[in-house]
Amino acid sequence: MAEVITVSQLNRYVKMRLDADDALFDLALRGEIANFAQNAKSGHCYFSLRDAQCSVRAVMFKSDARRLEFRPENGMQVIVRCRVTLYERDGAFQIYVTDLFPDGIGSKQLAFEQLKARLGAEGLFAAAHKVPIPAQPACIGLVTSKTGAALQDILQITARRWPLVRLLLCPVHVQGIEAANEIAQAIDALDRSRQADVIIVARGGGSSEDLWVFNTETVARAAYRCKTPLISAIGHEIDFTILDFVADLRAPTPSAAAELAVPDMAEARHKISSLKQNIQYNMQNRLQLCYNKLEQYPAQRFSGAAQAGTARRVDQLDRLRRQLCGAAHAAQQASRARFAHAAALAGTLDPYHTLARGYTLVQDHTGQVLRTEQLAAGQKIRVVGARRTALCTVDATEENGHENP
Amino acid sequence: MKTPKNFEAGIARLEELLAKIADEATPLAETVKLYAEAAELIEYCTGVLDSAKLQITEIDARLTAQKTAEGEQ
Repeated sequence: MAEVITVSQLNRYVKMRLDADDALFDLALRGEIANFAQNAKSGHCYFSLRDAQCSVRAVMFKSDARRLEFRPENGMQVIVRCRVTLYERDGAFQIYVTDLFPDGIGSKQLAFEQLKARLGAEGLFAAAHKVPIPAQPACIGLVTSKTGAALQDILQITARRWPLVRLLLCPVHVQGIEAANEIAQAIDALDRSRQADVIIVARGGGSSEDLWVFNTETVARAAYRCKTPLISAIGHEIDFTILDFVADLRAPTPSAAAELAVPDMAEARHKISSLKQNIQYNMQNRLQLCYNKLEQYPAQRFSGAAQAGTARRVDQLDRLRRQLCGAAHAAQQASRARFAHAAALAGTLDPYHTLARGYTLVQDHTGQVLRTEQLAAGQKIRVVGARRTALCTVDATEENGHENP
Repeated sequence: MKTPKNFEAGIARLEELLAKIADEATPLAETVKLYAEAAELIEYCTGVLDSAKLQITEIDARLTAQKTAEGEQ
């Protein structure tokens, strides 16, 4: 009999043997998940993997588990990549799982189904929460790539169908890690702006990986809390995204979203022309009715009374006309008399009348009238009378001896 | 004619006018006035469609988010 060893020594030895075995170091294992539990504090996952006869205990550490796109569940058929080892403390042989794949269905698809089921159960897709899309929006909010084909499609359709609308673009990346946050922020921003009557979240076609951002919970929740009616327009008709389920309306393509969001100009023109015809018809109809009513009354029933009334008014008019003429004539006479008086008064003030009586004016060579105090010896002056003008030179000036010039 | 707020308001007013014109209780003089208004409105609405040009403006989600955040502080 060999030497006595401790349990710890045994476990360490077995663990060492297991770890040294290359076949157990990295292997793929198929089985069904059972007794799945995730430690809330550490984040590590503990479960069993089993087939029809056997089972093995499995651990997946948080650092590996966080990379999973879907949540492992009991009963799920999976293939795991793992290492076989021994948990020394319990002497329990177990596997450490580094990666976990759904068996059969793709992991993305599984994640999609799980998120869809979870959000659906929470009521994010409820028909009762959906709001109707306005028939004639004045402003449409757009969440899409500034450089994408989706934007071009929407611009083209709205310009053709309903150029009255204003587009409010909140440009986003529709791919990459930040895309989900950007799209959610853009939806929030447009909703908060209260300018948009409807919001279209659009992305042109692409592979299902390209459209994956529209399957994120972030975008789904932003769409759900958005109070403005929201149309999803993702990809190419066939695939539904999570956003499609949350949106108030799902359009199969960006072009279709634009068609759904705005009315058709041709229809509007038709509406105007039909209103016009209807109004004209009713107006003519109304006039015709009035004529018909009028014709029911015999003409002569009114003619006697009408004539008497007319004669009286003719007399009255004539009298007024005569009075008016008289008053106008009198007013004219009075004005004329006032004018003659004013003209006579103006005549007496004319300086040339004074010249006619023999007085003269003294002017300088430019014809400017001079006062005697402006005169100086040697100055050339003009002495102007009624008929003749004398050109003179001032010999000398002197004071007259009395005050008045 | 009072210029309507927008195209939709114009169409709504036209529908209202049609109902009044069609109503025999409306006096004839009033009807004629309404008809004149309708004619102007039809011209206005057609004009709006003829001259409409698509407008596009841009907003930045990050800027408005910041603005709101500041506003709420």
